[in-house]
Amino acid sequence: MRQSPNYSNVSAKVLINGTPVNALPMAESTTAPVAEGRDARRRTRSNRSAAARSEGKTAALGRRAVALSEFYQGKVETVPKVPVRSLADFALWYTPGVAEVSRTIQADPDRSFDLTGRWNTIAIVTDGSRVLGLGDIGPRAALPVMEGKALLFKWLGGVDAVPLPIVAKTPEAFIATVEAIAPAFGGINLEDIASPKCFGILEELQKRLPIPVWHDDQLGTAASTIAGLLNALELTHRSVREIRTVLLGAGAANLVTARLLLTLGHDPHRLSVVDHRGVLDAERDDVDELMLRNPWKYRVALQTDGGGRSGDLAHALEGADVLLAASTPDPNTIRPEHIRSMGKDPIVFALANPVPEIWPQVASEAGAAIVATGRSDFPNQVNNSLIFPAVFRGVLDARARSIPDEIVLAAARELALHARDRGLSTTHILPTMEETEVFPHVAAAVGDATVRLGIARRALSHDEFLERARTLMERSTRLVRALSLARLTPKMPSAKSLSQRKQG
Amino acid sequence: MNASNETSASGPNESPTVPIHLRPARAADVPALVPLLLRLKRLNEEFDPLLKVRDDAERQANEVLRAQLSDPKAVILAAEGVGPDKDKVVGFVRALVRERPFYTPEWEGVIVDIYLLPLYRRHGVGEYLLREISSALKAKGAGVVTAEFPAQNEIASRFYAKRGFRAIQSLHARSL
Repeated sequence: MRQSPNYSNVSAKVLINGTPVNALPMAESTTAPVAEGRDARRRTRSNRSAAARSEGKTAALGRRAVALSEFYQGKVETVPKVPVRSLADFALWYTPGVAEVSRTIQADPDRSFDLTGRWNTIAIVTDGSRVLGLGDIGPRAALPVMEGKALLFKWLGGVDAVPLPIVAKTPEAFIATVEAIAPAFGGINLEDIASPKCFGILEELQKRLPIPVWHDDQLGTAASTIAGLLNALELTHRSVREIRTVLLGAGAANLVTARLLLTLGHDPHRLSVVDHRGVLDAERDDVDELMLRNPWKYRVALQTDGGGRSGDLAHALEGADVLLAASTPDPNTIRPEHIRSMGKDPIVFALANPVPEIWPQVASEAGAAIVATGRSDFPNQVNNSLIFPAVFRGVLDARARSIPDEIVLAAARELALHARDRGLSTTHILPTMEETEVFPHVAAAVGDATVRLGIARRALSHDEFLERARTLMERSTRLVRALSLARLTPKMPSAKSLSQRKQG
Repeated sequence: MNASNETSASGPNESPTVPIHLRPARAADVPALVPLLLRLKRLNEEFDPLLKVRDDAERQANEVLRAQLSDPKAVILAAEGVGPDKDKVVGFVRALVRERPFYTPEWEGVIVDIYLLPLYRRHGVGEYLLREISSALKAKGAGVVTAEFPAQNEIASRFYAKRGFRAIQSLHARSL
């Protein structure tokens, strides 16, 4: 089956979802450190050819992914976690013994976190309405992506994640379905749901369910953005309270980033949100329409009132300290003159994938002091995979009842601190996916925050959270290796042997 | 005669928690009122294709407002901002006194437009506007106050329901 035109988009999200750099063959060929000024054109050209090369490689990866999916027929399976010596053991694991376990939970529903796998199991739910860059491809086609996410959850976070695409015509039907399946889970991960309906679905489920509900496109991306920004500000000796910031794009991630910035004390009147219609202020022509169709964006319009600016991106950026772009993949969205009009030592995050809103070298040459993108082949990758496995590890170990913004910020702060411990520089404001020791630390910080906020069903100490996270995360990698060693997971076949298999 | 001269809203009688100053609209307000009226009509457009705003709506808004400012059967109140927004018209309410044949009370005051710029919402301003326009309509002999808005506008439905309004008539439409 050939669908190569679409694979460029697949790679887009694979990268931001943080497949470890060394798993992607393109990484070594396109390493591009932030440059200091000379021969701009040559570097711009090499950037573009890097993009073309990466597109070709993406198509090849797509073909291989289809072949391997056919070979392995899915990416996760259920594996028993109890010994089974003989069929007689089922008198314990199943009836009649299990009846007493059920009665215990009936008497105290929270005991389901002790007596079943609920404490470590989450559902990855989607309606398939905005999958990767593919758009509304529906729940069936979304399944391979959800399986991939489940694998990431297990491998990085030690979390048992069940891929669960749902056929739902309305947000209400979707919400009711997730509510109905929640008893089996210790947390819910919403995935690839279109904006703005993702906001209402997340809000409503967070209200209804007694377990953490997370939407990575909102919270994960915003948390890693905030983490990177905190360090970029630290490096350039500024504080959130004094900066002027422009958010380009008003989708899932940036609207949450705006909310978190305001929580951190950012002056709303120095925060400009810009979308394709220009600066979002309280008197823009479409503001009443937003009140009806996108109340979350409407709220930001009222809170910031354009950050004291109106008009287009250029107006918003004059003298700004920070530009956080999460908009559309077009390297000409942000122009060098935009960056030149910003204040001293501007910070530029161009997070569109696979192509950032401005190439990092172009941004640096125009004067950007620190540049981040969503890609692993440039320095400073803003990557939600740095956040979500650890956040879930933390809330699951605490058996948390919810996941408020304080948790999101606790994860962001811990991620930022970790990068500081390794030494901050303009090309290292965030940990990379190789710095795996960061994950248990973020998990422990999240666990601590749930205890502090009084939403933990089980309050552990910091060291206990840390130890538990380390053990469970390590267990997953050991499990995957053990299955391979035992040949229960077949060796990864070469492209050649796969094509021979197909012919045979 | 300027209808609004008779309203009880003249004078500095706004409640202190409301960040506006309400007064009868004047001819000089028309250029500021037109864009607000058009914003409201464009909002209505969101609810039903039969509420699509015409190309010449701006000219019409001008004409209607000018005519009604001197119509004793119409009341238009303008809301001005305070502080730095002093002298800026940030909202308005427009109502018409209509006869009700066959029914009693005989005269009704119909609120046809009520609009506030977003930053002035949720401070009790809408409620204040409603209170003031109701007294103005009562002063003009209305025995009942009604409000017209798109059937699908749930925000308006809730706003009025909370303040004791109930649906008494429906207007159903079909294109020809």
